[in-house]
Amino acid sequence: MKRHHWIVRVTHWVNVVALTIMVGSGLRIFNAYPAFARRGETFCCYPFAHKAIPSWLTFGGWLAGARNWHFAAMWVLVLNGLVYLGFIYLHGEWRDLVPRRGDVRDSWEMFKFYAFARRDHPRQGKHNALQRATYFALPVVGIASVITGLAIWKPVQLGLLTDLLGGYVWARYWHFLAMVLLVVLAVGHVFMVFAVDPYSLTSMITGNYDERLSPEERNARPFYHLLPPRRAAQATAPGDTEQ
Amino acid sequence: MRRRRFIEVSAASLASALWLACDSEGPKSARPALRAAERWNEKIERALFRHRSMDYGTAVLAGAAYPKYFVSDRVPVWNEAERGPWSLEVTGLVDNPIRLSLAELQSLPSVTQRVNHYCVEGWTAVVEYTGVRVSELARRVGMKREAQYVDFASFDSDYHESWDLASALHPQTLVAYGLDGHLLGPGHGAPARLHSPIKLGYKCTKYLTRVAFMAERNGGYWSDRGYEWYAGT
Repeated sequence: MKRHHWIVRVTHWVNVVALTIMVGSGLRIFNAYPAFARRGETFCCYPFAHKAIPSWLTFGGWLAGARNWHFAAMWVLVLNGLVYLGFIYLHGEWRDLVPRRGDVRDSWEMFKFYAFARRDHPRQGKHNALQRATYFALPVVGIASVITGLAIWKPVQLGLLTDLLGGYVWARYWHFLAMVLLVVLAVGHVFMVFAVDPYSLTSMITGNYDERLSPEERNARPFYHLLPPRRAAQATAPGDTEQ
Repeated sequence: MRRRRFIEVSAASLASALWLACDSEGPKSARPALRAAERWNEKIERALFRHRSMDYGTAVLAGAAYPKYFVSDRVPVWNEAERGPWSLEVTGLVDNPIRLSLAELQSLPSVTQRVNHYCVEGWTAVVEYTGVRVSELARRVGMKREAQYVDFASFDSDYHESWDLASALHPQTLVAYGLDGHLLGPGHGAPARLHSPIKLGYKCTKYLTRVAFMAERNGGYWSDRGYEWYAGT
């Protein structure tokens, strides 16, 4: 059975490219004025003011180059995001991702398991509670980054929106924070793919997923039980079942 | 194991692509797409534009913290001994082209407005400009109906920027000669400059000498060097 519909797979990888361009070019734009304060004022909440982002993290080469990429890739990001959200809404996959009752408790159980405070992998299903939280948060933060981006792109013509976000300086700050959050979620996601469930990488390319290799079946924590268990070939082995 | 090989190859190519891309302008072949996106964005920006959208500078004046940018090697100062008294030429597709001395410019109906200066770099500054609306100048010279664009040229080397007519006629677009209650200083474009909160700072030509109404756009200093031409806020 296919785990991911082709639309989900295509939009996922388009999003990887678009988001990478948006973050890289955004950081290059930020480097033209790596601070938030209005001229002649101070800003409370950014301790790294006037320290440039390392250039190897940036894309676009110079301010105009980065802006041209940013204002082009934003359409790819938005249209691709709309296709994805429209699809999971119409096709029902949104049910796998929206928060459920008991998610807080289930997340806590996952934490305990990863911290070796619990022996057995909690019941997984398609995604565990931490994954669901991440995959739900990503589009939400993505939408926030688009809205805050609009507010600093058109602070006069969309002045109401900019005012709602606390004015240009704060809108720019929220835009930056949304980017940081997106990067944290994406880096955590990539780390967990490689450290816990590298088999899911195939499912995002071909769509196929071997349930016998799921983290729950392998009882996998980051870097623990990465390889397929020998018992996967056998029907059941004594002592392997949950006590 | 084919799958593993596939993953290795894709990871390696992705990593090298990212490495090559770092801090670069990206592939040259992407330029037409980027330009198409800019034209598309301009259409959207023009559709969003409203004459009644106003900007208000609600914080304290930036004052001395307001940066002074120009493109010449030194602060451009009008050399009266060499070039005679400064004047502003308002010309192009108009019925009565005029040449205004500073005193004549100052005698026209003026506006003082506290607004934001939006720099392309990402900073803003609260500034209070005094000057004459471009729409007022357009009325006085009898702008022709064919005029669709306005070019604002300077004596700061070859600096100029052209604007769409609607933005130029916005009530907050001024030919300014006063800043924060004083006459414009040499660092800020004396004796007169264009200023508006509805465009990014680089569109607001300093050291202004010529306002020309045109049927076609003629680019600009920074917009010819890769920055977007419309640059509305």
